[in-house]
Amino acid sequence: MKYVLRGAILALVGYIAGIWLTVAVRGGSPTDEVAVVFGFILALLGWIAGIGGIEAFGRQWLGKKPVVSTDKGWRRYFEFSIDHKVIGIQYGVTLIAVLLIGGLSAMLMRIELASAGQGILDLDDFNKVVSMHGILMVAVAVAGVLGAFGNYVIPIQVGAADMAFPRLNALAYWLIPPVAVALLGAPFLGAFNAGWTAYAPLSVTNESGQILFNLAIITFGLSSILGGINVIVTVITMRAPGMTWGRLPIFAWAGFSASLLSFCVTQFFAGALVLVTMDRVAGTAFFSPEVGTGLLYEHIFWFYSHPAVYIMVLPGFGVILELVPTFARKPLFAYKAAVVAMLSIVGLSVVVWAHHMFTSGMADFLHGPFMILTEAISIPTGIIFLAMIGTLWQGRLWFRTPLLLAFGWLFNFLIGGITGIFLADVATDIHLHDTYYVVAHFHYTIVGGAIFALLAAVFYWFPKITGRMYNERAGQIFAVWVTVFFNLTFIPLFWVGINGMNRRIGDYPEAFEGPNRFASIAALILGASFLLFIGNLVYSAIRGPKAGPNPWNARTIEWQVSSPPPQHNFTSQPRVVGHPYDYGVEGSVHVVFDGDTKSEEVHA
Amino acid sequence: MKKSWIPVFLLWLLFTVLGLVLVMNTSVMPAQYSEEAHHIDEAYELLEVLAVPVMALVLAVMLWGAIGWRSRGADREDGPPQRGSKLIIGVWLVITVSLAIGILINPGFVGLAAVRGEATQDYVVELQGQQFAWTVTYPNGAEAVDELVVPLEARVRYDVSSVDVLHSFWIPAFRTKIDAVPGRTTQVRITATHTGTMEDDVNLRIQCAELCGAGHARMQLPVRVVEEAEWLEYIEGLGTDG
Repeated sequence: MKYVLRGAILALVGYIAGIWLTVAVRGGSPTDEVAVVFGFILALLGWIAGIGGIEAFGRQWLGKKPVVSTDKGWRRYFEFSIDHKVIGIQYGVTLIAVLLIGGLSAMLMRIELASAGQGILDLDDFNKVVSMHGILMVAVAVAGVLGAFGNYVIPIQVGAADMAFPRLNALAYWLIPPVAVALLGAPFLGAFNAGWTAYAPLSVTNESGQILFNLAIITFGLSSILGGINVIVTVITMRAPGMTWGRLPIFAWAGFSASLLSFCVTQFFAGALVLVTMDRVAGTAFFSPEVGTGLLYEHIFWFYSHPAVYIMVLPGFGVILELVPTFARKPLFAYKAAVVAMLSIVGLSVVVWAHHMFTSGMADFLHGPFMILTEAISIPTGIIFLAMIGTLWQGRLWFRTPLLLAFGWLFNFLIGGITGIFLADVATDIHLHDTYYVVAHFHYTIVGGAIFALLAAVFYWFPKITGRMYNERAGQIFAVWVTVFFNLTFIPLFWVGINGMNRRIGDYPEAFEGPNRFASIAALILGASFLLFIGNLVYSAIRGPKAGPNPWNARTIEWQVSSPPPQHNFTSQPRVVGHPYDYGVEGSVHVVFDGDTKSEEVHA
Repeated sequence: MKKSWIPVFLLWLLFTVLGLVLVMNTSVMPAQYSEEAHHIDEAYELLEVLAVPVMALVLAVMLWGAIGWRSRGADREDGPPQRGSKLIIGVWLVITVSLAIGILINPGFVGLAAVRGEATQDYVVELQGQQFAWTVTYPNGAEAVDELVVPLEARVRYDVSSVDVLHSFWIPAFRTKIDAVPGRTTQVRITATHTGTMEDDVNLRIQCAELCGAGHARMQLPVRVVEEAEWLEYIEGLGTDG
């Protein structure tokens, strides 16, 4: 904890220094936005230096050897550890905490919306809660699966001792706490009410909390980019002997694909927010109403934020395709086609952004091409469904919690995908755009596609990470509970959207009260399910029965080492000799360990 | 194990029939007050019909999977090692590509053309958004801020603009929507087909549909559709100085 404390102190010193310097140079008040900007930048540097940057990077600049944390036990989770497994757990715990905070903000919204008229929140506070909910949940969806399980699992799956750039990995994680502090601290500067989309010019003229949003998201973007390049390089260069591209586990493929996107497009959101920040603090006029560039912001924003949907969902595809073969006891169906599909999604996802703008007033001739490209994405997504259905086909389905959640995922993402067609179609989108139909649709794709996969991944890899088994009955109850009440919450919202209720409103015409109240009650019960989730995980991590190395009898490499894996993952060099998902294939082996006589025998 | 095809196919057929009966006999759309609403609802209903067999397939596999392929865990034997054949992937691709192309043609481009219609109009009405109100300017220069009155069976072009931040001009009963972008004028053409007021139908209202700040939820304006002659009389009565 001493490093966290040192980081916090240096951050505070940096913040005060930044503000003091700004005021000294230009005068004005310490709460001026420009002072906050410099305060934040120095605070961020102070934090990174304090948490371990001095030892990990600073010493090297002075010609000394870098030092990194070698602590064992719980202390390492609060230090600049470069062990990818520690970092994976840091991501996982942090983002589940953020998920719960974001969930509580959703509960606030649903309580307000339970009846027409003003309840616990006034209209502007409602917008602020919506905005906070949106950005927190986007962060969880972007970094949840990839940060936690991408970090923990992918290096082991490809047979590497760690990520390609371990210190960069630690840096990417430790950039996240300042993001959370800035976002959750924004209410002290009036919060931000422009939604997670932060459309200009509203985001130029609203309260000062917006500046903290901008700084937080630029920082978060930096973390995503650094995380992205790390996964890309790890998968390309760190694979064990024999781990050809054709034998790469599908989850590693998915993480690789999503990382290509986060490395290549995150800059656009950050860039858009830099322009907004300049407008606010430096007197520029990129998005001034007179200039008429409101559409420019939307274009730059969606150039990141549509691919971001696939940064969220591709790892979800990976998780589900990873665990379905294990619980169906069958090879992954159409493995190569699924890989091609994921890479096609990477390519297509950067050329569909303007389908968010069919009603924005952009040139009419753009509608057709963006409709074509958007609907084209249904083809590779269809292949992912084929892979899933084909793997389930005539399998020996073992309905443990991860498979139950995968079924929930399949159902939710199906609804999300099909309602997506209605939004890709220009005619129907003109009516549905910016209504609760869109809200329901993207909750089905993002919660359905990314968060359900995150939950499934938590249960699937829990025994590997903790070495203990979660409570199966509680897990199954949770899986059914969360799936049923998720659907009861969001199905009525399609109806109110179609029937004339737009999104991001703290009050609505009385005609929509019935379905809204129903959704609110369902949402509260949905929220309560997470008490069972957390209770199960916490209790089982401490008191659960020992899980052993391979409770699912799975084939990929992470299951062939102890639970949790040893410090550098392997005690002897893994060598890949076959396909990862050859369940039911006589004598097939995925991996052997050099010098390990037992596995050599199996191979022979 | 060929017999898996039969129950899955039967379930698919059952779900498809049930689904089609359901979507063809129910309408989720609110009442139509414009030609554009008619075209948009038609597109919506066609997409619903096309979605049914696709959903039915996945649901059939899931349901039969839960019943017919369940393993008790005690027999941990593996399933048949089917890795997928080029034929199945090919057939799947042909079906999904054809569906995508079909949807792109109709309702895609057919709907797009119908909703957009011809670039002609009988009247031009200007709408200016600001935080958090709308100002209507009629062809004779008369202004109104308390309601939008629309002539029946006349094609009206709305020139939409904003003085501060993004807003969006949306009348749910008409279905159409276009953003109000500061520094620009955006256009949408609507032909009203039924008379009515916001008291008759809550969807006869302009609702701002782009988050614009504190008063966004209540940035509404009642819409009243009247006979063309009555409309001409109304805008005359407003006078030109508002």
